[in-house]
Amino acid sequence: MKILVVEDDKTVGQYVKRGLDEAGYRADLVGDGDEGLRLASDGHYELLVLDLRLPKISGIDVLRTLRDRGHGIPVLVLTAQDAVDFKVQALRMGADDYVTKPFAFEELLARVEAIGRRPKAIAPPVLRVADLTLDTGSREVRRGGKPIELTPKEYAVLEYLMRHQGRVMSRTLITEYAWDYHFDPGTNIVDVVITRLRKKIDHAPEPRLIHTVRGVGYVVKA
Amino acid sequence: METIRGRLTAWYSTALALTLAAFSVALYLARRSASFQDLDQRIRSEAALSAGILAESYRARGVLVRPDTAGRPQLIQDVAALLEVVPDFLIITAHDGSLLFASSDARALTFQQVEQLREAVHAPRGARPSGTLRIEPAGPTIHFALHAVPDAGPQLGAILAGANVQTAELGPQQLLSVLLLVLPVGLVAALVVGSWIARRALEPIGQIITEVHEISDGRSLHRRLAEPMVKDELGRLAETLNQMMTRLERSFGALRRFTADASHELKTPLTVLRAGVERAITTRGVPQDALAPLEETLQEINRMTELVDALLTLARADEGTVPLHKEPVDLRAIVAEAQETGELLAEEAGVHMEVATPPDAVVVPVDRSRIRQLLLNLLTNAVKYTPRGGSVRVQLGQSDGRVKLSVADTGVGIAPGDLPHIFDRFWRADSARTRTGERSGAGLGLAICKWIAEAHGGQIDVASRPGRGTTFTVTLPRGS
Repeated sequence: MKILVVEDDKTVGQYVKRGLDEAGYRADLVGDGDEGLRLASDGHYELLVLDLRLPKISGIDVLRTLRDRGHGIPVLVLTAQDAVDFKVQALRMGADDYVTKPFAFEELLARVEAIGRRPKAIAPPVLRVADLTLDTGSREVRRGGKPIELTPKEYAVLEYLMRHQGRVMSRTLITEYAWDYHFDPGTNIVDVVITRLRKKIDHAPEPRLIHTVRGVGYVVKA
Repeated sequence: METIRGRLTAWYSTALALTLAAFSVALYLARRSASFQDLDQRIRSEAALSAGILAESYRARGVLVRPDTAGRPQLIQDVAALLEVVPDFLIITAHDGSLLFASSDARALTFQQVEQLREAVHAPRGARPSGTLRIEPAGPTIHFALHAVPDAGPQLGAILAGANVQTAELGPQQLLSVLLLVLPVGLVAALVVGSWIARRALEPIGQIITEVHEISDGRSLHRRLAEPMVKDELGRLAETLNQMMTRLERSFGALRRFTADASHELKTPLTVLRAGVERAITTRGVPQDALAPLEETLQEINRMTELVDALLTLARADEGTVPLHKEPVDLRAIVAEAQETGELLAEEAGVHMEVATPPDAVVVPVDRSRIRQLLLNLLTNAVKYTPRGGSVRVQLGQSDGRVKLSVADTGVGIAPGDLPHIFDRFWRADSARTRTGERSGAGLGLAICKWIAEAHGGQIDVASRPGRGTTFTVTLPRGS
């Protein structure tokens, strides 16, 4: 899928482009609204990632012009504004979704997947690590075939770790994922969730699946 | 009086009443003075007329006095008949002071009273030519005038003409009663008319107040008052207000641009930072030594983002332009949602947590994410300031059409001197409050809590005793 990224800040733009490329999309980057509008109107792109503050023509105007011309290309808006009305304005103008800066790339990717007309290829419905399974559809978790009851936060943390099995996930990234808004508890609340998860999942003599990476976070691996 | 209109009417009426009263008194005094002058004039002419009659009669007859049957000298009958036409009191004395004639009014007096008049005429000390005399006992007060009769023969003494002062008082008194009748009527009329005029004059001000109120709600600052063509006081007032609103609009616009610029200028570098750190942290094969500082950096970036968000939220809240997206929400759901997070926080801190919600739904129109933020802020604070072994209790209830959400802890409490400041921005209690090793926030959490409660038409209150605990209570109206 071809994606057009319109972002005037080069570093952010490059980061988004590279991330999308790595995720299997083909992304192009332009730096101003004028060119963004011209390219988006061509019809070569299937999705537009649009910063709202752009030189020449603002993102809102690009969006408005596209929609006025009857162009239905899905648009994901990048905004620095946290105000709800700003997001509402963007959605009213015909944006499909928005991401507030600074964003976790994971969040951007999830939203691109959600509004792009493509089924989720990255996330298999059932995640598996050794004899631990997690069904993302039914939210059922089993270890060695035995069902395990998890609270919503325990489930979210485990799902995140299992999605990225074998990779060290930092506490901050885990917190961001499990608490879907900016939430700074001031303490390592993730540690508590992990302790609870271990009690439910990692019983001896079975091999431990959740490993601590001191000072950083956790990793799930067999 | 509450209104300018009332005060104007009151002042105006008082001034009018005083003017009318002064005018009435002056009018009465002038009328009375004129009336007494008339009276004096009258008695002087009466005395002169009587002297004229006596002189004429003496010239014609040569004799005016004859002794009566008792041998007392009397004015002869024909002359006396002539003098009867003179009204009021008329006394004529003989050369030796004896009474020669008394008019019919004078004859109505008692003997003692007549004697008093006679003595007044014949006072050996050289009588006053005119004056006021109170006839004793219990007689009328009169003005009198004396007149000599040199051309009426040697037997005649002098003439006294007098008139009852009551005849002079009558006119002024009538005037006074008319004035007393007219005055209140005039005053009431003045009150009504004055009040009407004041209302007419102040009506445009009321209109200006209404318009300014509508404009200053924060979203209609582009509107202006209609300026009348005439540059009277009201025209200038409207003009001044419009100038003020132009300046307000300009500064609000500047603030709006500033918050938008600040959002962008602060968050774009944060995005860049975050992108780099996140990328590094999620790259496979990064050594563990390198991961820890990256994780710390990421944490700091998040704190910074939180701070920027909080600052911008408060800046926009000051401007009055943060909209709330209210929808009917069962607050029990928000409490239940926050409960797990609260329990996790409490478990980490070794604190016991309990939640009490009513069995029935507590549906209130609120901005779900804001109320969740409010509750989590309070919960985080409560856990943070409660020592190990303490407890935190969240309670939801309703009474009198209001919903109360409280978070109570058995923590270190807040010093009474600090209580008034805890909702201030960037305010922090003595660092002794926090458990050691924990970083405190930027001091904006409670300021935001206060704003959220107030933006919902509610309030946030705090009760605390040092060493015993703190209770924050958020009160929200049921139908805001």
